[in-house]
Amino acid sequence: MTGGGKRSGAVFPVLAVALLGALALSAATGPVSISPRAAFDAIFRGTDDTTARVLLSLRLPRALLGALVGGALASSGVAFQALLRNPLADPYILGVSGGAAVGALTVALFLSADASPLLPLCAFAGAALSALAVFLLARRRSGISPERLILMGVVVGAFLNAVIMLMVTLAPPGKIPGALYWLMGDLGLGTPRRVAVLFPYVALGTVLLYLLSRGLDLLLLGDHAAFQAGLSVERVKTATYLTASLLAGSVVAVSGLIGFVGLIVPHGARVLVGSGHRRLLPAAFLLGGAFLVLSDTLARAASPAGELPVGAVTALAGAPFFLYLLRRNGGRS
Amino acid sequence: MNPVLSARGVGFGYGDRDILRGVSVDLSPGEVTILLGPNGAGKSTLIRILSGILSPREGEVLLCGRSPGEFRRREMARLLSVVGQDPPVDFPMTVAAYVGLGRFPHQGFFGGTSPEDREQVERAMERTELTGLRDRPLAEISAGERQRAAVARAIAQEARVMLLDEPTAFLDIRHRVAFYEIVTQLKESSGIAAMVASHDLSLCAEYGERIVLLSGGTVAAQGRPEEVLTPGNIQAAYGVAVACDRNPATGAIRVTPLRGMPPKD
Repeated sequence: MTGGGKRSGAVFPVLAVALLGALALSAATGPVSISPRAAFDAIFRGTDDTTARVLLSLRLPRALLGALVGGALASSGVAFQALLRNPLADPYILGVSGGAAVGALTVALFLSADASPLLPLCAFAGAALSALAVFLLARRRSGISPERLILMGVVVGAFLNAVIMLMVTLAPPGKIPGALYWLMGDLGLGTPRRVAVLFPYVALGTVLLYLLSRGLDLLLLGDHAAFQAGLSVERVKTATYLTASLLAGSVVAVSGLIGFVGLIVPHGARVLVGSGHRRLLPAAFLLGGAFLVLSDTLARAASPAGELPVGAVTALAGAPFFLYLLRRNGGRS
Repeated sequence: MNPVLSARGVGFGYGDRDILRGVSVDLSPGEVTILLGPNGAGKSTLIRILSGILSPREGEVLLCGRSPGEFRRREMARLLSVVGQDPPVDFPMTVAAYVGLGRFPHQGFFGGTSPEDREQVERAMERTELTGLRDRPLAEISAGERQRAAVARAIAQEARVMLLDEPTAFLDIRHRVAFYEIVTQLKESSGIAAMVASHDLSLCAEYGERIVLLSGGTVAAQGRPEEVLTPGNIQAAYGVAVACDRNPATGAIRVTPLRGMPPKD
């Protein structure tokens, strides 16, 4: 009843299998070929050879990181879309990712060489600050209108982009290529340690969003109707905005700017399970994880040396999709 | 009977533009009040003030003797439901899911859907003849059907007071009559108090026990249909000449516009 009417219970098992399949495919793809037998031995019997090391310290962490990042971006997108009642919203349009990037770059370029525990925190701080700036700029006595919020997000995002360019220009020369590559969106930093650093943030964020799901359902009614239906609108909006920023910020810290996952995946998930958030959030997480892991596998297959960032693949798929949504929405109104 | 919702000398405006001045209205259990008035008379603003979205600049609103600001949100939504904005069409929400949101005040924020919730949603959809459309997305049904879905959501909310802002604007004559029948049933069976903002003078006279005529932000007249629906009141509020008589079939007041361009004032 709170869901979207699609009663098929098979959706979640299918999505889970799709994610596992994507993980397996990702782990099997690369310059060193790994047989299923060798993979089994490496994971369950603890064999210690080159194959096992490639699998356990390179490929699986990278695949798991992709699943976490994709799931978190998709969940964040679902939250921002409900918050703004706008199916075109995602963390990038709102300037949140830009703020996260500034926070992460500050650490990566100017503070310490290997400060991975600090990275997600500074990125979250950057995301939360830029979110707060957008929030306060868009806020009026009567509340927060979606149009104003998006407009302020674009303005703040443009400003932050300029800051990012300035920071990269002023960075120590040796760090510039790495920073630019990271900005394009990359999962190559998927060491087991980084997966462990990201995991608590993503777990916390997705659980908090899930707890807010009934409120997100009501936000779709619009502020007045949600208020009259019994929702503490401003409180739920604030909690949603902060949680979605936490997810987007911590992800940016680890994997840079990967665009369009937060836009495409929620739409696909709504087609599968409807717009009730109790089902939509888990579905979007699984689908987002599978989507990003597959995109990364594709990027690595297309460029074995690893020079094609996954952000380029998601943008190649995402930008036309965004245009399609824009045209369809324009046609309706 | 004591009013369950009342406005006492309510005034509201933006800047120095007054929208409402000295509006006093009482809604009592088991009574349907019709809110009439030309476009821009302040009907929607009054409903927003009564539902607690806007605070009055002067005067006060009392729901069961308390100001709307003193309520917890869900507590207030169990007492008062509103049909106002159109249902959302930007997301693929089904009719059943939309009507189900009316149950929110009766559920825990983190809780699930009870059998009671399901039953109330089914009954609300049956009453508004939407059962056959339950799995259709809101964007794919007609404006009139969406309006009935909004009424169904308010019915599922099971509040003691219902405020309805032009709930029949897109409805055909059959569903208009059905709407007023539903409100009359709810009033008789559950003793709800309802206020319906409308432009439909004939059906108002047929179903409304009390009529409040709003004009230029003040109450121009209120009372029984025969007291309010007079040629003088309607000419003053709407600027059109009408004839008022009794409908021989029902005995209710009948308002007939007279031909000829209304004089400009």
